[in-house]
Amino acid sequence: MQSNAALEYDYSVAKLFTYTTILFGFLGMLIGTLIAAQLAFPELNYLLGEYGTFSRLRPLHTNIVIFGFTLSGVFATFYYSAQRVLKVSMAESKFIMFIGKFHFWLYFVGALLGVISLLLGYTQSKEYAQFEWPIDIVIVLVWVLWGVAMFALIGIRREKALYISIWYYIACFLGIAMLYLFNNMSVPTYFASGGLGNILHSVSMYSGTNDALVQWWYGHNAVAFGFTVPIVAMIYYFLPKESGQAIYSYKLSLLSFWGLMFVYLWAGSHHLLWSTVPDWMQTMGSVFSVVLILPSWGSAINMLLTMKGEWNQLTENPLIKFMVLASTFYMLSTLEGPIQAIKSVNAIAHFTDWIPGHVHDGVLGWVVFMIMAALFHMAPRMFKREIYSKKLLEAQFWLQTTAVVLYFTSMWIAGITQGMMWRAVDEYGNLMYSFIDTVTVLHPYYAIRALSGVMYLTGFLMFAYNMYKTMTSSRELTEEPQFRSPMA
Amino acid sequence: MFHWLEKNPFFFSVGVFVVIAFAGLIEILPNFAEASRPVVGLKPYSVLELAGKNIYMKDQCIACHSQLIRPFKAETDRYGQYSLSGEYAYDRPFLWGSKRTGPDLHRIGNYRTTDWHENHMWEPTSVVPGSIMPAYKHMFTNIADIETAYAEAVTVKNVFATPYGDEIKGTRAAWEAHKPAVLAEAAKIAADMKNKDVKDAVAAGNIPEVVALIAYLNRLK
Amino acid sequence: MDIRELQGYASFFMTIFLVVMLYWYIVYLYRSEKKGDKDYEKLGNIALDDEIDSKPIDTSSVTPREKKEQDK
Repeated sequence: MQSNAALEYDYSVAKLFTYTTILFGFLGMLIGTLIAAQLAFPELNYLLGEYGTFSRLRPLHTNIVIFGFTLSGVFATFYYSAQRVLKVSMAESKFIMFIGKFHFWLYFVGALLGVISLLLGYTQSKEYAQFEWPIDIVIVLVWVLWGVAMFALIGIRREKALYISIWYYIACFLGIAMLYLFNNMSVPTYFASGGLGNILHSVSMYSGTNDALVQWWYGHNAVAFGFTVPIVAMIYYFLPKESGQAIYSYKLSLLSFWGLMFVYLWAGSHHLLWSTVPDWMQTMGSVFSVVLILPSWGSAINMLLTMKGEWNQLTENPLIKFMVLASTFYMLSTLEGPIQAIKSVNAIAHFTDWIPGHVHDGVLGWVVFMIMAALFHMAPRMFKREIYSKKLLEAQFWLQTTAVVLYFTSMWIAGITQGMMWRAVDEYGNLMYSFIDTVTVLHPYYAIRALSGVMYLTGFLMFAYNMYKTMTSSRELTEEPQFRSPMA
Repeated sequence: MFHWLEKNPFFFSVGVFVVIAFAGLIEILPNFAEASRPVVGLKPYSVLELAGKNIYMKDQCIACHSQLIRPFKAETDRYGQYSLSGEYAYDRPFLWGSKRTGPDLHRIGNYRTTDWHENHMWEPTSVVPGSIMPAYKHMFTNIADIETAYAEAVTVKNVFATPYGDEIKGTRAAWEAHKPAVLAEAAKIAADMKNKDVKDAVAAGNIPEVVALIAYLNRLK
Repeated sequence: MDIRELQGYASFFMTIFLVVMLYWYIVYLYRSEKKGDKDYEKLGNIALDDEIDSKPIDTSSVTPREKKEQDK
């Protein structure tokens, strides 16, 4: 593999995943907005008959956002940035190109089948692991293909040192592989019963409390290795590249990496506080959740300090705005999470809307903002055109930021209100409220949340439009911008 | 040594894997045998109840309802005795849920009846004014897949040694032989219901989803 | 020794081991920079200077086999 003058980075796979990021992002947020509205206005449950109830759509929302939008974003940014930090082009190896393309198409077909199967009600009913076993097999294959592409690319690299983003992508690959495999262990009933019943149905290998433990070991860490680790990988590449500033402390980034790897996995049992899992595990989950603040903030502070001395860019460049806000929301939600994991707080917060509130300030504020910023950074380089509209970008930023704030504030209030009402007793020690009282009181907060959903979705449409225009009709660039992405 | 780890992708990956796998090994594995012991007197789900559990999963009741009563006075007052690990021994998967948009259902069988559920599933606001739960009218016409539920019983009996009787066997003949028992159980529930279509369907040998679901909910005690 | 006890010991010693490794790593990072063996902060430039025809940043780098040969 001698380098020659004509050699260029090959973005064809990154482009494909960029399209699906936008597609699944729109679908996932559309459904999210719909189900948020259903809680405020239950009549909306009947738009699609059997297939349109809140309960049927909710897993669709979570799965499309996780496995559709976020994973697409992770793959897109991986196929873009890994080439660059390893200084090797995918075009240099026919094998890697083939694996990359195959990876994409298998992923896309698998994702579509997954959506259909969930709509029809085929589900293992374990959160974020709903897909039945045939889809699981496709997902495993997709994952293996990604691994092959990743390590093949690393194998032919010119830059011998592995940049920190690559560390995080590798961790994402390994972590999700381990978690997904173990949590989805199940026995298809058709084969175990001599050919009776539906071929798609399966039963979990674990039962009851064990199943709960495995599920939340998975559930919590799927967030860790899907919503944190690869997003940190992105920001460690895109923030320095867009701002022209190297990471504030490279050593700190390495340390937080190992800290995060070690601590994160222990924290899963904080989803099961006050349940029937052994007490010591609950305590362990609680303690490690608090310790988790350290490596998380290590990364977040490192990102913010990267902008040291260059804060003027925050006002001038909307992409920097997106990324700085993303790391701020990362700090917020990694502080909020440990607070909720304290046993006495959890007694009130668990089962309430504070939990979705927490998830969404992390996801809307951190994950989606970072992915959108990354795609905006990639677009001028992949399509060789400048970003279509800076004004639209600014407007989108403020609209979506307002939406996130509305979302989590309304859910904080809703969650704490409900948690307190459930346990309120009168002077004789009797419960003060029937359950339905604690539901009807939430109506205004649910309505605000639905509104914030509409705002965020609108912002995402602005993003999609801006991207579309950038791809097709923006002014062409003669040469690749070095740092700051050009925009009209 | 660290220098070497940083440069070598293979050993780096092994290092990462060891560090992340550690927690799982310690926290999860050794507890398995203990946590899966059933409480004394716990019976496995009947085939009809399993079918109902599958409806519960299919329509994702778990999105809004928990099945886990925590050991607080406010919860035991509202829902009954707090949950014990051994009560879940035959639950595959566990259905604790993570959100109570609606109330906990772990002991719903103690205080709700078949006809209450019938009204509630048809039109929730008719029994709970102000409810935001959607109506599940399609459950009154969709037919439950009891053959798959039977296959599930066979599977958990064979693979996980769940104590079912000899009538649960992995052959079509055994299933045909067991079917009348399932229908009889369904007929008992349909007798307490007023929906004509449901009664007719059960009489004709088809079990609507709602009947199986109610069988499951009545079992939750 | 039952599985419970084994679990306790394994957890305790493995945790200690990993904590020691982490702190050792911190010492290693600063020491190797002081001695001039490595310049970690320079690696941050991998993200900035990432053209396909630009020179690799990490010139001190050697493969494990080369390293072994050098050590001999």
